[in-house]
Amino acid sequence: MLSSAQTPRFLRSTTATATTSLKCLHTSPIATSAAIPPPPPSQILTTRKSLLSRQTSAVDLAKSFLHRLRRSEPQLSSFLYVSPDETVLKQAEDLDKKIKNNEAVGPLAGVLVGVKDNICTHDMPSTAGSKLLENYRPPYDATAVRKLRESGAIVVGKTNLDEFGMGSTTEGSAYQVTANPWDLTRVPGGSSGGSAAAVSARQCMVALGSDTGGSVRQPASFCGVVGLKPTYGRVSRYGLVAYASSLDVIGCFGSSVADAGILLQAISGHDNFDATSSKQEIFDYASQFISIDDMESKPLQGLKVGVIRETLEDGVDSEVISSIRNAVSHLEDLGCTASEVSLPSFSLGLPAYYILASCESSSNLSRYDGVRYGNQVFGDELSSLYGDSRAQGFGSEVKMRILMGTYALSAGYYDAYYKRAQQVRTIIRKSFKDALDKYDILISPAAPSVAYKIGEKKNDPLAMYAGDIMTVNVNLAGLPALVLPCGFVEGGPAGLPVGFQMIGAAFNEEKLLKIGHIFEQTLQGCSFIPPLVADEAT
Amino acid sequence: MGSKAVQFMLGAAPPQSARRLFSFRNSVPPAAASVNKRFYGAESSLEPPDVPRLAETARISLTPQQVEDYSPRIRKVVDWFGQLQAVDLQSIEPAIRADTEGDNLRDDVPAIFNTRDAMIAAVPTFEDSYVKVPKVLNKK
Repeated sequence: MLSSAQTPRFLRSTTATATTSLKCLHTSPIATSAAIPPPPPSQILTTRKSLLSRQTSAVDLAKSFLHRLRRSEPQLSSFLYVSPDETVLKQAEDLDKKIKNNEAVGPLAGVLVGVKDNICTHDMPSTAGSKLLENYRPPYDATAVRKLRESGAIVVGKTNLDEFGMGSTTEGSAYQVTANPWDLTRVPGGSSGGSAAAVSARQCMVALGSDTGGSVRQPASFCGVVGLKPTYGRVSRYGLVAYASSLDVIGCFGSSVADAGILLQAISGHDNFDATSSKQEIFDYASQFISIDDMESKPLQGLKVGVIRETLEDGVDSEVISSIRNAVSHLEDLGCTASEVSLPSFSLGLPAYYILASCESSSNLSRYDGVRYGNQVFGDELSSLYGDSRAQGFGSEVKMRILMGTYALSAGYYDAYYKRAQQVRTIIRKSFKDALDKYDILISPAAPSVAYKIGEKKNDPLAMYAGDIMTVNVNLAGLPALVLPCGFVEGGPAGLPVGFQMIGAAFNEEKLLKIGHIFEQTLQGCSFIPPLVADEAT
Repeated sequence: MGSKAVQFMLGAAPPQSARRLFSFRNSVPPAAASVNKRFYGAESSLEPPDVPRLAETARISLTPQQVEDYSPRIRKVVDWFGQLQAVDLQSIEPAIRADTEGDNLRDDVPAIFNTRDAMIAAVPTFEDSYVKVPKVLNKK
């Protein structure tokens, strides 16, 4: 048990700057009572326990989530498609019958999941946020969705995203902009903004997203939820609409580290349909999550943490830096030794990433020709069918990235751009590997700022790309990373959450989850439930 | 929020420091043409993006207004890409992706795709078991 003599440093002002001391207690009606909010439970494990002990039924749980979802959806717009109530409740009823008959049920039994709309579901539209795929019904489920369903989970709907995963705010969606549950005038982040907002606002328990350059981790930080990016190859990409095939992964959102980890376990594994999926064994992540009652006083004794120096310098908001430093102090209280580590090639990752992503996406999106699926604009000749279907179907950010990629891959330019970006990838891989040989995990912010206002970055592509600086290198290196909320910055009705990122060695998700879980369960005075949801509880 | 990041991306040349987060230049200066030639020989002179030609290559019909709107933005980003040309990458192997586990091929045995009907249902113009497209004109 964490000794009561240890004063949590994150509740004291640690910096000499003029910025206010980190306020961890957020002012919701829940927190105004003198009680300190408890750490977040695992919704997956709590659901399982309540269902198996007959304390609640899957139908009742589903009804309560659907009710909350529909109530908050007009303000949030996190879903592009919500499954009809009858469909969701039928699955819940079937589950209740199984439990009544003492039949075995899967590890995600009764868990309500949101799925990012670039992940194929055969029974729901899958638009990838694009008009080109309006109403497209895939003929198959993505492997990750199939595994979820086999585990007993119920998919409640498809969440909003920037079109084809290209963007950091969901403003790039062809359909709607999702609002941040912490402040409806701000972005939830992107491209998996819908999934992050849905989990944050408790519209569903957990959600799937995808992460090519930070698209799970940055929205997790902006929305105050846990975001997990697995190692490249950990989860099959079969059924994930391809953006940049050497970088794309499917990732997990949860309101607790345990939920993100258990979800990851359910969807991980080798898949014959994905030649880049790994045959590495899946660790039993669920076994990582020890109760706070069973923890020693310094549960992370002996772990070495490297804080990436280049991520705490100019260009990052000072309040974000403050939150990260407080998170590091908390890790030190738990027994870690922390020191700064420099990754000198860090800043090269951003242009290298955008070159690789634009090039690969220009190739991947050539399949959208209006011939075999998607919205078609028929013409007099084949090339105008292609040209007009694509012109009308793609939004402007997607068009521009295709054009940039086409340019960089043009004959004579390959060496100048694509090949050089590949070489930078080698440098970055090596620098992470060298650092992770010395440290158990590396730490950085998940983004240089908290959530900004809707419309603020829309007109300047480079300004938006700049926000990805913390996350893209991890995709280039193919490493796993976990983002979890660690504090607040002033803004919005109740503060704006800040997430910190932990980066681990390849296929070492269990270490990230173990550390993240302990950090989360011992972080006192913080409750990452947005006012939108907290107000409902009273 | 993040405005400091923006300043570095767009603004006055930041001090030369390998450790600064946003230490790159925003645009390739006029001398770049000769820099490029030095790196890549006289053959390659990186022409700026010819957006109408790129649009034709990428099979996207752009309106003249879109060409006008997109060109400066594309130019700006491509110039920003150009900073990699100043980096010394001699003898660094390009990495195709993060890691390769090697042989990941399945057996060369045909398999049936079970939901062909659903696949065909997604085709916009399907007639008499053919996927229909307009005529293909021979280009000169």
